[in-house]
Amino acid sequence: MFSCLKHKVGEVLLPGDEFSFQPEDTISLTDTVKPEKVICGPGLRRSGDRLLVSKSGVLRTKQPNMFWVDSQQKRYVPAKGETVIGIVTVKSGDVFKVDCGGSEQASLSYLAFEGATKRNRPNVQVGDLVFSQFVIANKDMEPELVCVDSSGRANGMGVFGGGGLLFRVSLGLIRRLLAPQSPLRAELQQLFPHELVIGMNGRLWVKASSVQQTLIIANLLESCENMTAEQRRQLFRRAAQGAL
Amino acid sequence: MAGLELLSDQGYRIDGRKATELRKVQARMGVFAQADGSAYLEQGNTKALAVVYGPHEMRGSRSRTLHDRAVINCQYSMATFSTAERKRRPHGDRKSTEMSLHLKQTFEAAVMTQLYPRSQIDIYVKILQSDGGNYSVCVNAATLAVIDAGIPMRDYVCACTVGFVDETPLADLCYAEEGGGVSSLALALLPRGGQIALLQMDARLHQDHLETLMEAAMTACKGVSKVLDEVVRQHLQEVSVLTGE
Amino acid sequence: MKDTPLANCERDFLLKAIEEKKRLDGRQTYDYRKIKITFGTDYGCCFVDLGKTRVMAQVSCEIVTPKENRPNEGIMFFNIELSPMASPAFEQGRQSELSVNLNRQLERCLRNSKCIDTESLCVVSGEKVWQIRVDIHMLNHDGNLMDAASIAAITALYHFKRPDVGIQGEEVTVYPPEERDPIPLSIYHMPISVSFSFFQQGTYLLVDPCEREERVMDGLLMIAMNKHREICSIQSSGGIMLLKEQVMRCSKIASVKVSEITELITKALENDKKARKAGGRFGFAESMPQERITALKKDETPVEMTDVTETAYDIVQKAEAPPQTVPSPVLPVPGMGQVGLGLQNSWGLEDDEEEEEEDDDSVEEQEEKVTKMEVEQHRKEQSSGDVVEISDSEEEEVIILQPEIPNRGPKNAGSSSDQKGAAKSKKRQTK
Repeated sequence: MFSCLKHKVGEVLLPGDEFSFQPEDTISLTDTVKPEKVICGPGLRRSGDRLLVSKSGVLRTKQPNMFWVDSQQKRYVPAKGETVIGIVTVKSGDVFKVDCGGSEQASLSYLAFEGATKRNRPNVQVGDLVFSQFVIANKDMEPELVCVDSSGRANGMGVFGGGGLLFRVSLGLIRRLLAPQSPLRAELQQLFPHELVIGMNGRLWVKASSVQQTLIIANLLESCENMTAEQRRQLFRRAAQGAL
Repeated sequence: MAGLELLSDQGYRIDGRKATELRKVQARMGVFAQADGSAYLEQGNTKALAVVYGPHEMRGSRSRTLHDRAVINCQYSMATFSTAERKRRPHGDRKSTEMSLHLKQTFEAAVMTQLYPRSQIDIYVKILQSDGGNYSVCVNAATLAVIDAGIPMRDYVCACTVGFVDETPLADLCYAEEGGGVSSLALALLPRGGQIALLQMDARLHQDHLETLMEAAMTACKGVSKVLDEVVRQHLQEVSVLTGE
Repeated sequence: MKDTPLANCERDFLLKAIEEKKRLDGRQTYDYRKIKITFGTDYGCCFVDLGKTRVMAQVSCEIVTPKENRPNEGIMFFNIELSPMASPAFEQGRQSELSVNLNRQLERCLRNSKCIDTESLCVVSGEKVWQIRVDIHMLNHDGNLMDAASIAAITALYHFKRPDVGIQGEEVTVYPPEERDPIPLSIYHMPISVSFSFFQQGTYLLVDPCEREERVMDGLLMIAMNKHREICSIQSSGGIMLLKEQVMRCSKIASVKVSEITELITKALENDKKARKAGGRFGFAESMPQERITALKKDETPVEMTDVTETAYDIVQKAEAPPQTVPSPVLPVPGMGQVGLGLQNSWGLEDDEEEEEEDDDSVEEQEEKVTKMEVEQHRKEQSSGDVVEISDSEEEEVIILQPEIPNRGPKNAGSSSDQKGAAKSKKRQTK
């Protein structure tokens, strides 16, 4: 299985493709059989002893044994552990209702901020942006967000300050931006100083020193969706040299 | 402009008025006991009744509550006996909905809604007799009703319909003048600041005439505002006499 | 379906950008987005693209009995459908405020201005007249539905041809298009609506708002005019307070825009007529292979309609700019979006990019350099406003390429290396 998965890395898979456990032609009685462990990411599902593909896309891998299907879509479905940018819509009782682009509004408790107590409420208004993480996100329950990690520290999450521009891109671009050695991020770094917050629900927030620069970054990122790497490099180069 | 001569050589219109003359305005405030504010206004032969309820709790769809302002809800309707032919559908047709929207937008600009968040103000206007300038009469009546209800506004909202015939602007059109394919401009104005709350124009008018027409409309509105002001002062005097020292 | 709520920072940013006279897509305050008009196979069907806003109009006709009070006039009926396809905020079936507004405005713009000769639609007075019905469907909502709808409606009406009718005594025969050629409608003039959006209590105004700008605007002023400078309809909506001077200014801007758009429409109609006459493929079949039907597709060829806008305002013709664009960034990959593609934008990106490319060429040749320098100087002067605006960041060394300095080659390298130095000191957080 491992070998046939490895074979297909980089190929396009469609839902319905499956990988089944092929027994070896010859089983050696003397050698110890090494147990194969394959970690399935999004898009791959286990069913009995087969591995089914549930999303269309390209198969990717990460050493040593992680596989997933890289698919493209615009609409976000909440998943536990993902950090998203949400817009506060309602302040009621002890919770905020936050719109994160999913089918339901997620709830965010007052106390789920760093240093928040019953007396010391966080300063969040309707319409503010919050960067938070899903603790509960399955299809049966209302999604819940928190702005602290498991040890109680904010770790970069919380309510946004003022300024900056929020815009939407597809989820595939977000993943490309968040990849560990993302060439996209490296090229962005060459441009000019700016702050960029990447929400996995397809929302990006960018702030640069002037409105013009913010607009440039926003438009560059929006247009990166459909470009090949070469086109993108040229575009960034032009922007870097022309935009100043 | 075929048939009826809208402006004679001596400068008289069909009903004998001069070009810039407004029709006679008569108004009463506080005509209904049940409503928070009400007013009845006659402008020539056009008669309108306006009633205001609010600010009160949001009724109907809770989701439309605005967290920092009051919602203004307007309904415009014409009585079935208001026109020459009996009106089959007094409200719900496109024209009434459009008028309601325009009224709503006019008053959203004028009423200080930030003072009453999460609440609703209802304005109902009914035309009892329609003889031209329906929209303007509604706006004037509604202004008086809102004042009667004690809801704070930035200024009087006065409206007037003007038309353009033979290079002359005619103020306050009546029904016969409106129908003749005359370019008519309806303007709702806050007189003190000269700010236009609503501007609506139909039929062809050359761009160069726009300025004169708007000037005429603004002067007419200022005239209406003077009349409304007098009505309000008189009403307040009457009421204060009743409440005593 | 609920639309995504607008965040406070989006609103603040948009308003701040508008105060600095910058728009999200790099247009100027009085610029329209790119307008594209395509026709279908039938007469009377047309698609209009205003940037990403897509609208389709279809004209049809049938014979009915006329109204009692107008026995010898035909009937015009307009209908705008806000289909949920266009935006998640539209609901099927319900007549929302916006739909009523658009319908009424279109009716007033086209019907009350008497742009169509209704008396010519009469067949038998008092008994039979033509009823012309214009159906407009919104396919994608990215702001400014009213203008797109008005352009689509009037273009479709111009494009439409009704069947010929023969009257013999009491009998009325309607000839199908195979027997007798259909006749176009008799239209007096072309009213086109121009929308202005106001911000910050009327201090700032924009022409042709896109969907985000529409969300933060205070109100909208719609002026419908024809190219003879006759105003057909004015409507202010949203609770804004206007001043008389603003209205006059808007009407002047509107007259300029309307004449440009009228030219565009006449050109599109002519092209279509030529294509049909030449027997070439037209209509949807033609649009398909070029992938013009698909939404959100951007053309590589900068068919500059914004150029037409700019010639009205700019001193120097920017129209030369597109042909000099180096073709390599403009690869014919479908679905490619380019920053400010085809649009002349005010970021100074494309201008400086063109200069830089010319620098590469001009390093070797002296004579070419001279002519190119002049062209660049032209462009530099005119876009110097843009360049100056960008350089208000004090955080890094900004070297503006001076138009007077002759040898640009080494300077370029110098600036880019300074760039990299600045890049090191910049802070960037990913979360």
